[in-house]
Amino acid sequence: MINLQNVSFSYNNEKVLSNISLHIDKGEFTAIIGSNGAGKSTLCRIMNGLLKPSSGTVTVNGMDTRTTKSSILARHIGFLFQNPDRQICKNTVGEEIRFSLDIAFTDKSMIEKRLFETLSLFDFDADSNPFHLSRGERQQVALASIIAAEPEILILDEPTTGLDYVECMKIMSIIKKLNDKGITVIMVCHDMEIVLDFAQRILVLAEGRLIADGETREIFKMEEILRQASLLPPQIARLAARFGFDDVFYVDEMTDIVLKRIKNRRKRTG
Amino acid sequence: MIHIENLSFRYKNGRKPALDNISLTIHEGEFLGIIGGSGAGKTTLSYAINGVIPHHFPGDFYGSVKVANTDTFDTTPGRLSLKIGSVLQDIDSQMVSSVVEDEILYGLENFSVPGDEIEERLLSALEAVGILPLRYRAIDSLSGGQKQKVAIAAIIALRPKVLILDEPTSELDPKSSEQIFDLLKELNEKYGITIVVIEQKIMLLSEYVKKLAVMDKGRIILSGNVRDVLGHSSELEEIGIHCPRVVSLSNSLRDRGADVGGVWINLDEAEAGIRRLIYD
Repeated sequence: MINLQNVSFSYNNEKVLSNISLHIDKGEFTAIIGSNGAGKSTLCRIMNGLLKPSSGTVTVNGMDTRTTKSSILARHIGFLFQNPDRQICKNTVGEEIRFSLDIAFTDKSMIEKRLFETLSLFDFDADSNPFHLSRGERQQVALASIIAAEPEILILDEPTTGLDYVECMKIMSIIKKLNDKGITVIMVCHDMEIVLDFAQRILVLAEGRLIADGETREIFKMEEILRQASLLPPQIARLAARFGFDDVFYVDEMTDIVLKRIKNRRKRTG
Repeated sequence: MIHIENLSFRYKNGRKPALDNISLTIHEGEFLGIIGGSGAGKTTLSYAINGVIPHHFPGDFYGSVKVANTDTFDTTPGRLSLKIGSVLQDIDSQMVSSVVEDEILYGLENFSVPGDEIEERLLSALEAVGILPLRYRAIDSLSGGQKQKVAIAAIIALRPKVLILDEPTSELDPKSSEQIFDLLKELNEKYGITIVVIEQKIMLLSEYVKKLAVMDKGRIILSGNVRDVLGHSSELEEIGIHCPRVVSLSNSLRDRGADVGGVWINLDEAEAGIRRLIYD
């Protein structure tokens, strides 16, 4: 689906990504994590062809991003910017969604159908002005206009930044449903609890290098790697680590292990 | 230090009041976190404290807000800024300069800080936030997180008595977020600066602040020390506030018969609580 082979990228002679190779398969849910300035947003833009690698090769569904127009790649990849205001350009929510549908489809009835479906999925009023909505709502409008066009791959640059918990869960459950239907999701995220709850795979970036790539729980056990990337594992994993409990990430798992230890102690003390 | 009495505010053309009968006292040297969902009124409350409301945004204002015994109604946001430093949610709207160093000098010069003190204040502010190497960088070349640090440095260089920050870590990675909170803690403990911080990351807040105020629909529905507030986890969940997972852990263990004592609000407390349960 997406393949990066020895990819490096520099902005004005400053190396931002260094020799990255990875492959993302259809239907995966991958999180990209790393500190501010580690190259996460650049990697997203390299993957969707907005930026071309300085060296190495990037292919999306077999198409080389250096020789394929961004507009063609955009039919395969939906990209959500970190800041929704960089994306929203119309005066009503309905027009904003229709804008992306007009580019994606030619069949009028298909456009109407997808518009209706998307408005209902997000529970939007088509006539509301996106610029009068809250940041969280604008983020949803930006996401809606992307997924309306039914891309096979979604690349999301910090989709939950600045949102409250309810908005966050609304957006994440929509993304999860799309992933369950087979859409490939690649998401930059600073919230390790969200990464733990939703992503199956994690790419760890530090100073432009891919320092780890693996299954979510395995990556969260790699304390040294996370330290190198200035990250911390989710709260329950950090607590479990203080007791040397391995592979414990959730409240239920920690509850079970603590209760078991209490029982064992009672047995020993008779 | 800050005394809010029966404050209500409705923005001009606003359908509902953004603040609805708020009374809150913040004492000198307190470190208060304000939490609540989007649209709960947190930012509006911060505007009422730094005088942006009623002086900048028109609307219906009832009640009173006093900062260091001055009624915000009788002064200007400019004069108030001598006492209160504000770090806004929208960092770009706060930046006035194009180079990092100039952004910090702007405030210092406008506050008539003596020339021989300026360089020292500039350096210590940049160093405190960990952005000394960015001193000569163009602001538009910085990441969102780096800009957030510049905004905080520019404010702390002015050494205000009260610091009010609206989601200062929203674009920062976990390590940088902790760095900012370590700094706030130091400013609070070492220099006695009163700190009010609006934040969505409750897990982070509960590791640092002493008190919490919870807002919903323009009202303060809960306030007090962190433990008392997080003890109401089910009410908080109802209004969409998700407590730190160690809070859920202490609830879960208690529900299954373990004697956890009170609610655990942060990692250290959870560790101590579990050690007591399984080793003592």
